[in-house]
Amino acid sequence: MYKSVIFWLVAAVVCLPSFGCNVVRVSLNTPLTPEDVAFIVPGDTTLTDVVTKLGVPDALTDSETGILATYRFIDLKYSRVNFGWLAKPWTPVDPDLIFSRTGLAVDAFQVAFDPDWVVQHHAFQRRLSMPPFYPNPF
Amino acid sequence: MKVSRCILGLFLIAFLSQACAFSRGTLGDEINADAIAAIKKGATTQAEVLHLLGAPDRLMQLNGRDVFQYYRYDAKAGSLLLIILNFSRLSMKSDDLFVILSKDGLVEDVISSKRTDGIKFRFWPFGQ
Repeated sequence: MYKSVIFWLVAAVVCLPSFGCNVVRVSLNTPLTPEDVAFIVPGDTTLTDVVTKLGVPDALTDSETGILATYRFIDLKYSRVNFGWLAKPWTPVDPDLIFSRTGLAVDAFQVAFDPDWVVQHHAFQRRLSMPPFYPNPF
Repeated sequence: MKVSRCILGLFLIAFLSQACAFSRGTLGDEINADAIAAIKKGATTQAEVLHLLGAPDRLMQLNGRDVFQYYRYDAKAGSLLLIILNFSRLSMKSDDLFVILSKDGLVEDVISSKRTDGIKFRFWPFGQ
């Protein structure tokens, strides 16, 4: 008797997080890693080398010392659990108890070129660790 | 016999793809690859670029040179809707073309890439 109660309790705890659960991911461009840009040598690598390896930048802007190329990428992770689903079979109303969380990782890789299109320096705008799917908002 | 197998196959595909959603969104027209190939560095003029590709989406001044930017965005979304558990994934990429013009009005450089070719409908939101 106890064993069967424990079994159903464990089953409920295991299944609980997947009730009314939504997992969504939105990505813009392929995120670049420090390994992807390790080939860039300031004073030596040219725009052609960068474009050949990384593709065309999303933006080119003018700066006082030359030109700035920017590669942008976004990774959004959203997860949501509606615990109201547990009560649905037993209530005439449609109850909701929603926990959700959105993690937005926005990053950009910038390369500065001199007027002859040779790399001067490069850096990630902000190195964000990828947010996990984690619906607990607290 | 073949017809019945085809019908059975169609029913099977329709049955297996229930609870799926496919969406797609695009911004801008496809950048014509033939037009890009027709642009010659040091020979093609600004007027010819405009004739081949139309007006740019963005016009910039970089280091005293005009730069025409053309872009196109493509987004593909796949959803698996299992009533109590839903997975969705939206992937978005862009095609970009920069035409750098010299002070004489001739094309100095053309840089382009087509990232949207590798974009796929995906459902699974985990991993890369």
